[in-house]
Amino acid sequence: MSAPESPRTASPATAGAVAELRSVTKWYGPVIGVNDLDLTIGPGITGLLGPNGAGKTTLIKLLAGLLHPSLGKVTVSGRSAASSAAKEHIGYCPDVDAFYEEMSGRRFVRTMARLHGMSKSEAKERAEIALAEVGMTDRADRRLRGYSKGMRQRIKLAQALVHDPAMLIVDEPLNGVDPVGRRELMELFRGFRDRGKAVLVSSHILHEMDALAERVIFMGRGRILASGTLAEIREMLDEHPLHVRLRSSQARELAAQLIRWEDVKGIELRDEEEFSLEVRRPDAFFQRLGDFVVAESIDVSALETTDASAEAVFDYIMSSAARA
Amino acid sequence: MPAELAGYREWSGKTRSPWRASWSIVRTGVLMILRRWVFWLLIGLGLLNFLLNFALIYLKATLTIQNEAVGQFLDAYKVTGTGEAYADFMEGQATITALLLAFAGANLVGSDYRQGGMIYYLSRRIERRHYIVGKLMSVGAVVTMIATLPTIALFIEYGVLSSSLDYFFENGRILVGILGYGLVLAVVQSLLLFAIASWVHRAVPLVMCWLGVFVLLKLLADTARAISDDRRWLLLGIWENMDRVGSWCFGAGNPDKTPSVGLCLTVLVGLCIICLLVIVRRVRAIEVVT
Repeated sequence: MSAPESPRTASPATAGAVAELRSVTKWYGPVIGVNDLDLTIGPGITGLLGPNGAGKTTLIKLLAGLLHPSLGKVTVSGRSAASSAAKEHIGYCPDVDAFYEEMSGRRFVRTMARLHGMSKSEAKERAEIALAEVGMTDRADRRLRGYSKGMRQRIKLAQALVHDPAMLIVDEPLNGVDPVGRRELMELFRGFRDRGKAVLVSSHILHEMDALAERVIFMGRGRILASGTLAEIREMLDEHPLHVRLRSSQARELAAQLIRWEDVKGIELRDEEEFSLEVRRPDAFFQRLGDFVVAESIDVSALETTDASAEAVFDYIMSSAARA
Repeated sequence: MPAELAGYREWSGKTRSPWRASWSIVRTGVLMILRRWVFWLLIGLGLLNFLLNFALIYLKATLTIQNEAVGQFLDAYKVTGTGEAYADFMEGQATITALLLAFAGANLVGSDYRQGGMIYYLSRRIERRHYIVGKLMSVGAVVTMIATLPTIALFIEYGVLSSSLDYFFENGRILVGILGYGLVLAVVQSLLLFAIASWVHRAVPLVMCWLGVFVLLKLLADTARAISDDRRWLLLGIWENMDRVGSWCFGAGNPDKTPSVGLCLTVLVGLCIICLLVIVRRVRAIEVVT
């Protein structure tokens, strides 16, 4: 199976789908933004990955109701994404820092709440909750022009959270944020997920997607190349066998046994106690390996995959897409 | 901070009409202008003109009783309480408003395009029409704040300081004129500014375009009229058109003068329609520019 040929949804659509795209195509004049997308986003954290021009921003804007699809239908909580009713359920945190610099952070968040249709007192109350959630309560009275990049990201998140949306869409939220801030933001997203909400995160920082996203969507050339959990997508990449590193005091003997297995494509001995394998059908392989080492009482001190990260999967998918 | 510590709780409140959300755009726009000291220079200029007229009306009411010559002297400054006097005052204030908008346009509208801030608005529970109306109202609010409201204040002052309240009953047309002139200024200037600022986002080019529309078109109109000896060329002068229609609201101005008020109004309506079409097109164009 070749990854980029058709969109793949490894996981079935979640029952409580927050957003759905059905046969969605978006044209910008003669240029196609996204092409025939079918996608369901449910509760949990979903990572959106792809190179520049892959259609990530178009997909995000379609979901946020900022764009109308040329063909197909985008719904959020069952309503057309561009409708006011759908926007009640979406919290959009764009990547642009386009603030009114003279405003304080607190007033900006309150203004966004008022724009959402809240009364003055409600806007005030919700703004305080959102500011507390992003850890900006004590710094919110400063003017936006004086904020660092990380503080701006937090304020942007606060304005997206202020109306307690069912789905949070964040475009490149970790850009320019220091490591401590990144960890805090990731905790924030997890907390949001824990409340049963959906989070769609677009990011170029792939290694952080490993730790953050439960599902990922790989995009390229306006199409969804693959979607599902990283493990599921990795398993579908037949032409790229999984690389596994294994450490054992009986490495040579174990390697000699494993090379006979049909799921093992190749073995390379690194030293007397370590070798690496190229494996097809990882699930079946790991099941059989487990049974085998127990039955044969083989001592295995380390077992790890070396190319199942988002970055590795991303590279494989993109290289396959380039060849397609 | 964990949600528990932040006191997080779900929001289940009712949202109000998106049209009411448009008021937030108005409030934001007006506050943005009031926060910058540069704009206060022009607001101060408008305030100065208002205070001068306010003081002259007060002087007329108090000193004329002692010395009638003072009253005649003040009448020379058009402290007459007539529609013409208020129309002149509003034209002066409108000039200041136009200058203010020339500089504020880049902040009020241009920045939404230049920095992509429009997506913050449009990702909320409002649609494009609410955004457009909100922005137009914020420009209109600035015009009203500097031109219309001070004129109403002067009208009230003149009436209150008159010997009787009959002034209000006898000059109801003046109040209609103030509101009418204010409406013309607010509608035309807001549409024109939004249309220009949606194309020319930065402050300096916007000032040049904005003033060019009023000053260069006026020069062009005068030149064309001098060459062809046809007064209809004066219709090119947008400012004069606004002034003629505004004065007509007061019942002032010469109705037989060419071009007629009807033609001036037609030009202004046409201009407003073109501006509106440009605005709608530019707001839709957010799909491409951002």
